[in-house]
Amino acid sequence: MKKFRLMRIVGAFAATLLVGASAVTSSVPASADSSSFTYQPSHAGGTLKLLASTAGGTLDPQVNYTLQYWQLFQASYDGLLSFHKVSGQSSFDVVPDLATALPIVSNGGKTYTFTLRKGIKFSNGAPVTVNDVKASLERLFKVSNPNAGSWYAGIVGATACLATPATCTLSGVVVDPSTNKVVINLTTPDAEFADQLATPFGSVLPATAPSKDSGTTPIPGTGAYYFKSYNPNTKLVMLRNPNFKVWSAAAQPQGYPDEIDQVFSNTPESEVTMVENNQANFVFDPLPSDRLSQLSSKYANQLHVNTLTAIWYMPMNVNIAPFNNKLAREAVNYAIDKNAAVKIFGGSKLASPVCTILPPGFPGHVDSCPFQTPAGSTYSGPDLAKAKALVKQSGTSGAAVAIVATNDTVNAAVAQYAASVLNQIGYKATVKLLSANIQFNYIQNTKNKVQISLTQWYQDYPQASDFLKILLSCSQFHPGSDNSINISGFCNKSIDAEMATASTDMISNPTAGNALWSKIDQAIQGGNAVWAPLFTPKQIDFVSSGTGNYQFSKEFYMYVDQLWVK
Amino acid sequence: MLAFVLRRVSSAVLVMFSISVLVFLIFFATPGVDPAARIAGRSATPQIIAQVRHAFGLDRALPIRYGIMMDHLFFKQDLSSYVNIGAKVVPQILQAAPITISLVLGASVLWLLVGIAGGIVAAANRGKFIDPLIMFLGIAAISVPAYWLGEVVNLITQGGLHHSIFSWVPSSGYVSIFQNPFEWGLHLLFPWLTLASLYAGIYARVLRAELVNALNEDYVRTARAKGLSERRILIRHAFRCSLISIVSLFGLDFGALIGGAALLTEVVFGLPGVGLLTYSSLQNLDLPVIMGCVMYGAFFVVLANAVVDIGYAFLDPRVRVA
Amino acid sequence: MAGLGVLIFIVTICLLAPIYAHNIAHTNPFASNIQGSTFINGKRVMLLQQNTQGLGFGVTPIGPTWNFSHYFLGADDQGRDVFARLLYGGRSSLLIGTASALLCCIVASILGLIAGYFGGPIDWLLSRVFDIIWAFPIYLLAISLSVVLLTSGLNIGPLHIGAGSLFLPILIIAAVFIPYVARPLRGLTMSLREREFIQAAIGSGSSDLRILWKEILPNAAPSVIVFFPLMVAFNMLTESALSFLSIGVQPPAASWGTIINDGLGLLYTRPWVALAPGIMIAITAVSLNILGDGARDAFDPKAKLRGSI
Repeated sequence: MKKFRLMRIVGAFAATLLVGASAVTSSVPASADSSSFTYQPSHAGGTLKLLASTAGGTLDPQVNYTLQYWQLFQASYDGLLSFHKVSGQSSFDVVPDLATALPIVSNGGKTYTFTLRKGIKFSNGAPVTVNDVKASLERLFKVSNPNAGSWYAGIVGATACLATPATCTLSGVVVDPSTNKVVINLTTPDAEFADQLATPFGSVLPATAPSKDSGTTPIPGTGAYYFKSYNPNTKLVMLRNPNFKVWSAAAQPQGYPDEIDQVFSNTPESEVTMVENNQANFVFDPLPSDRLSQLSSKYANQLHVNTLTAIWYMPMNVNIAPFNNKLAREAVNYAIDKNAAVKIFGGSKLASPVCTILPPGFPGHVDSCPFQTPAGSTYSGPDLAKAKALVKQSGTSGAAVAIVATNDTVNAAVAQYAASVLNQIGYKATVKLLSANIQFNYIQNTKNKVQISLTQWYQDYPQASDFLKILLSCSQFHPGSDNSINISGFCNKSIDAEMATASTDMISNPTAGNALWSKIDQAIQGGNAVWAPLFTPKQIDFVSSGTGNYQFSKEFYMYVDQLWVK
Repeated sequence: MLAFVLRRVSSAVLVMFSISVLVFLIFFATPGVDPAARIAGRSATPQIIAQVRHAFGLDRALPIRYGIMMDHLFFKQDLSSYVNIGAKVVPQILQAAPITISLVLGASVLWLLVGIAGGIVAAANRGKFIDPLIMFLGIAAISVPAYWLGEVVNLITQGGLHHSIFSWVPSSGYVSIFQNPFEWGLHLLFPWLTLASLYAGIYARVLRAELVNALNEDYVRTARAKGLSERRILIRHAFRCSLISIVSLFGLDFGALIGGAALLTEVVFGLPGVGLLTYSSLQNLDLPVIMGCVMYGAFFVVLANAVVDIGYAFLDPRVRVA
Repeated sequence: MAGLGVLIFIVTICLLAPIYAHNIAHTNPFASNIQGSTFINGKRVMLLQQNTQGLGFGVTPIGPTWNFSHYFLGADDQGRDVFARLLYGGRSSLLIGTASALLCCIVASILGLIAGYFGGPIDWLLSRVFDIIWAFPIYLLAISLSVVLLTSGLNIGPLHIGAGSLFLPILIIAAVFIPYVARPLRGLTMSLREREFIQAAIGSGSSDLRILWKEILPNAAPSVIVFFPLMVAFNMLTESALSFLSIGVQPPAASWGTIINDGLGLLYTRPWVALAPGIMIAITAVSLNILGDGARDAFDPKAKLRGSI
């Protein structure tokens, strides 16, 4: 996923699904871990003030795709399933939320049966019924949820809903109010369906919720908080849900602050100053680079660093000059000093160089840096002489190259550095800076003839397919469209076939599957030098001195509702 | 006179219309701007994008889309943002307006006071040392980039000196006057000073030039011959004649600033006024909000121009023929 | 005169930028130098230094060495010599300011004179055009034009302006200030038109073009000449604002505005990177304004009576 504005989060892993078996098997790992945060009432109360320089878009949990608001939705909405609200690796597990237990999966993985809990109310006092569950699933199609055509298209009846969303009645969802049972039928088994239900897209909303994107009008939810007001230019206010009682602390724990505000329109520099002075609790925006030194010396105990599986990389367009020439792409890999990019980002404590597509710590990752002298398993540095030789050999010397990046400080600096290096090895490189709102779609559209760009990818879930299949398979390359996330335009049928094999392997034999994914990674990057991978960043959060109990979820990052202000 | 006013008003309306058409065209000519893909979200299938395109009327012909947008903006008054779905444009602008008005009013009071005082003092002491000194300060003040000055002020008040000399300076942001008048003023103090410094110099120079001009006129010579004091001549005679230039200049500047020209000052100091709204909508390429802000700003500029022109025509009949 | 002196000094040192960069400082102000190092007091120091205190986050460039032979004002976030870039930046800023002022004054003179002289529908049309340009938000125009032109360049018939060319900010800034110069010239022309010598020329059968060229233009010229340095100052300030919005000069080329923009990201650790170009702009604009006043005094003797500056 891309981090800000455009994000796709899913959840965990469903490695135990047996395709074709008719036995009743759970497609979700039976997580025996029902641990949860222990609630300490003495710290309850107060107002939490979060800062973000711009608003995050719509408040509709079935439309909004940004981490900025998913952090807030996780405390205000619930689905049948949810992510485990703890810290650590278990935060990727799927646990039952509005459902009494994990679903019973039958019919060869095509039928999910849930039982809805009784007695839960929305923030407007109305009780949650199975009709609301069915209506919410249908609403995904009515509001044109970004993933309606992919994640939820496997539900029986979805095809009709995609064609005529206004009259959507999902025939595959059968509910029985007398037994409180919800049965969802799929057309084919889907290993990731449980995770997809656990995201805020799977939130259960009242059946009376509007059939279009609700925008700035909040929809009642079942979570510990509800949205009181929202002005995208000034602030957003959440208050405790008066109708909330904890039914599963593992899925939706009690929150501490009485009120959570997110305040907009300040510059990141002012935001950092406000948190330093304890006038606010947290800065959502990336921290300005020139404050990092001061923060890490004076405010070290208010900084929290977490590893991410994410990557900053420069995809090269393999279909147009000069990077349709493999030697030219290799030259770029030899020339760019990943440690310099790390320095620009903030230093080696905040990022580490990567040479492969899959970042370290990811299943399927293998340490291997082929484009350096000598090749090895860890990154040793650039080789400009070799790069220059390769450029000459490729015959692309003197080509004009434009690097397209966003115009914020760090991205612009990395792009400028890369352009300078490309100039050194024999190209005529320039930098094109576009605002973040334009750049991401711009670099995907082949009509714009983008040769090389700078972008980031954050994992959706720890599956190698999330990187390799999503970013580099033929089916993700749509020439002429603004949504063509295979930015390089790399399409290799035999590698695609191997990806399909690897996906099926993952279900029955993850070890073999991951080994195959490693091979695919080597084939694409080592064999074809499709990208210039730069580094993997860490997440750094800055909280004020008056803020306590920082907890980190691998899915939603910092738990805003678990912070103490008292 | 009436004919002149009517002609002037109709020109103003024509200008507003042309600007709206230009804004519309520019937006759709900018590459990478297709809102449908961005509204639909990443990984949206072509089907979903097509649905979004249809829902927003983006698949109709350009003139029809323009008509629909203008209809929503002026008649139905429910034009909504592409980026913040459901947030209506007009209420957003109306909510941002008081902040800009607070900023501009306070700054204009300051710059008028300082500028007029400076101009009078310089004119009264022309030839002596203080005259070129004031003029030099004036030039220096208008030679500084606005946003740079604001950032430097921020650096001084929020940076190293924040814990010592400037600890009383609040962090950025705006507090409504109805909520807490003292905080309102305190939050706006440095923005006022920054914005005022950019204009005070101009006004001092213009007033001084006009005053000196007036002081060389015949009627002033007569007054001197009659034995009136220099001070009296300056204030009661020359000043009133010079006021016309100052007032017309002020009208134009005030109009432009109310419309959102103080954009960079608002950005630097984190004031969510019309300028900041314009700036962020430009960054987000949020056409409805851009259109609303541009119309709002253009309205005030055109209004100020028209008022000043009509004022001149009223005072000087020769101008009415033009 | 002091104004002119300061201005000449600034222009000279900026023109000498390449000599400074190659021969004195031995740096390339346009190439990134992130892993580079230099010698301060005999010791080798990295240009971009990793913070070692506390948690060890953050990388800071070296600050001013106050030594003309290298990194006088320190390094920027790409490890480049700020002072050398400042001099090169002066070339770009002065070039853009002067060229756009020139273009603006020429076009505005033509349009203003035509509007004022012919009156009627031509005047009406041109005045409306001026109104539109003046009320139009420059930032929207600049952002859109920049996104379009800076990504693909401008192609009108045989005219091809490459993306990233300095000609684009020059065009944008010149266009925006045309009404500012044209309106007063129009007013001036309108009052000149009523004077006797013009009436005489018309009566004697001279063609309009001849009258405009031989009679009106020479009388309007002093105003334009007075405007010119003021416009250079305004345009330089506007260019820096556009660069602040990242829509003016494109990296790695330097202008004072882009250096300020770079410096804003370093404001809390290395304020000189942002302060120095701002001060340079201020000094240059001040001397241009003083020059403008001097020009006005020179052309209008009565103005001298009103005192200098």
